[in-house]
Amino acid sequence: MSYVSQAPRLGILVRWLGTLVVLCVIIVLLAGRDSSAQSPAQPASAKPPSAKAANSDPPVRIPSNVAWTEDTLKIVSSGDAFRGLLLARRCNHCHGEEGFSSASPVPNLAALDRLSFWKQMQDFRFGKRTSPAMQPIAEGLSARDAADLAAYFAMLPTASDSQDNRAFPQAMHEPTRASMAIRLIVFGDGQRGIPPCQSCHGPVSYVQGAPPLAVQNGAYLEQQLEHFSDGDRANDINVRMRSIARQLTAEEKTAVSEYYGAGLGPGVNSR
Amino acid sequence: MKKIGFVAALTLFAVVILSTRYYMVDLPIYHFLGGGEAPEPAALHLRGEFVESNLGAAQGPSGSLTVRMIAQQFVFVPQCIVVPAGVPITFRMTSADVVHMLSFLGTDYGLKVVPGAVTEATFTFAKPGSFKIPCHEFCGAGHYAMRGQLNVVPRDQFASLLPDERRTCELR
Repeated sequence: MSYVSQAPRLGILVRWLGTLVVLCVIIVLLAGRDSSAQSPAQPASAKPPSAKAANSDPPVRIPSNVAWTEDTLKIVSSGDAFRGLLLARRCNHCHGEEGFSSASPVPNLAALDRLSFWKQMQDFRFGKRTSPAMQPIAEGLSARDAADLAAYFAMLPTASDSQDNRAFPQAMHEPTRASMAIRLIVFGDGQRGIPPCQSCHGPVSYVQGAPPLAVQNGAYLEQQLEHFSDGDRANDINVRMRSIARQLTAEEKTAVSEYYGAGLGPGVNSR
Repeated sequence: MKKIGFVAALTLFAVVILSTRYYMVDLPIYHFLGGGEAPEPAALHLRGEFVESNLGAAQGPSGSLTVRMIAQQFVFVPQCIVVPAGVPITFRMTSADVVHMLSFLGTDYGLKVVPGAVTEATFTFAKPGSFKIPCHEFCGAGHYAMRGQLNVVPRDQFASLLPDERRTCELR
């Protein structure tokens, strides 16, 4: 009995609520249109600049053709490590049989993050990052080749090997700088706006395209920090690394690079 | 009775929505309704107004100043901006990754920066000085060290900009 009497009431309630919702949506749309009518009106004073800015904008500088979109991530993550192993034979001469180079200014590729490896290969390929050695090599590698190589190098172990002629752990020249280095790596410098290295390069958290530094050569790192602060290397997306490297003093750059180069940086599980 | 409730609910809703317009509360839905040119957070460096060569203070033909900035984990770009005192300055900001927020320490001004939307606001800094710009929305492990710098210089010390010139106070 009660069901029968409730049914029409429910119907009426639903109709009322439906009307209410529709009217609410109309109000939001009107308010939104009000804003859209307003915001073009506000840029209308700024629109002539932007219309005129079409021919007065500074020349567009694109730091890197790589953007971390879904498609890019799909290409990079579909790399085939076995094909990478075969392709990597031409990398071995400089970067070492096991991904650890014998000269400290040459970067180690073992356990390198896939995204950062792939991005650097694309940047070499399109001339966004300059290197007389790497550019001709990268020009011969397609996006898929780079993804395969990235998959291979990402899975190389970092454990030490007495038979491998690797430069990697090199003692710090000035061990007294270690405290300066660990401060920057773990805490950064909030007063100057320098975030800690480990908040992007791991192991605390990662940012897309940031390589892990725990098993990287010190001389290479120092050289890259200098290139970033000089602007010689400018392929970082949205000026991130350049902004940070500019703030570091020469001593801080040396300290951080040598600290990582000595294998002391956080994130090393074996050396 | 039902009609009163209906009208009351509708009025309340309209008042709330219109007050967000009046007090310039930035509801995300307005970005989608009024938007049009939403920047793509992952591709800011490829196209649009936030390419790196277009960041910093720019001057329109009428003399109005626009400062374009990107907030990203864990730096503001440009990290140091310079503007004249006593002049309305339009900030246009977007985020490359997550939600950030900044406040100009020592002033009443602040901005919320959302990926995929442009935050626009016009501020006037009365007195010269230098203000820190910390991030006020937890954005990740390096959040506490995310800090920019705003230098407000006397009006006569801020030389006018060429149409294609962008001014920052970055260290070189």
